[in-house]
Amino acid sequence: MTISLSRIIMTLATASMGESRREWAMAMEAEFAAAAADDAQFRFATGCLIAAWRDMLRVEEGRFMLTSYALALGLILPMAALQVGCALFGLPYLYPGGGGLAGALLEGRAHEHLLRNLYQAAILPLALLQLLIGFGHVRVAWGMLERDWAGVTRTGTAILAGAVTLILFMSIFFLDSRQALLLGSIVGVELAIIAILARWHARLPIGIGQPG
Amino acid sequence: MSRKRQPSKQMRLLLDILSGARDQWRHGYDLMKEAGLASGTLYPLLMRMTEQGLVEAEWREPVQPGRPPRHAYRLTAAGMALALERPGHPDPFSSGEALA
Repeated sequence: MTISLSRIIMTLATASMGESRREWAMAMEAEFAAAAADDAQFRFATGCLIAAWRDMLRVEEGRFMLTSYALALGLILPMAALQVGCALFGLPYLYPGGGGLAGALLEGRAHEHLLRNLYQAAILPLALLQLLIGFGHVRVAWGMLERDWAGVTRTGTAILAGAVTLILFMSIFFLDSRQALLLGSIVGVELAIIAILARWHARLPIGIGQPG
Repeated sequence: MSRKRQPSKQMRLLLDILSGARDQWRHGYDLMKEAGLASGTLYPLLMRMTEQGLVEAEWREPVQPGRPPRHAYRLTAAGMALALERPGHPDPFSSGEALA
């Protein structure tokens, strides 16, 4: 087994330890060299990774980290992909009738020649807004994992403002803002969950588990 | 800190090794080799024993130059007391080891 694979496993193990276990992570890292001198680095690194993951479930900070990753990977990033997919690839979601962007531009409709110019002017900024909401979700997921709560709050507020704008314009243009309302509701739920997560992070005891 | 539960088999093993030389600081990898424990077992055990006040840890300068400092461990007085509580533990006074 190559030393580089063991090194990657060791890095993953120390990264999984969390702030309160930082000194233990450094302790494992320091012993890695001794294990490598005995050609036992792979077994040592794998054991450290198992210890780190088991410890994550045991301590509150570890459970917090797992929850953050589950929220980012299970909710925020799929929402980002959905928004970007709708804006760039014209997925049917958001626009009434399931026609996507083409449907929103009234292509092939009887009243296309009357309203097309107006819709062309309005739909593209709305699609751009939806794209920004999608990228905003990526920024929120990143900030959440970095525990940059000020940045997450700023971006989350901007996303909410964008969602409200979408709801208003969808109501005006299509007289149907159900999908935009759904989007706005999901954004609201996301921000509420993130606020709970930020409060949890603020309550986390600092220094628990550090060796004396 | 008082401890009600009986130590696990691995903890007993570690108590035996560390109490063998009370004042000697031991490195994690050396303990692994001597106890025959995997790092995935040893480190959670050391973390738990440190939290329970049985083991103290300290950064020690390396013997070989150019190497990073290493974490070293030894029993606290409470850890030594727990090691001595157990039946069958060799009397440290008979081997010349004095309790500090």
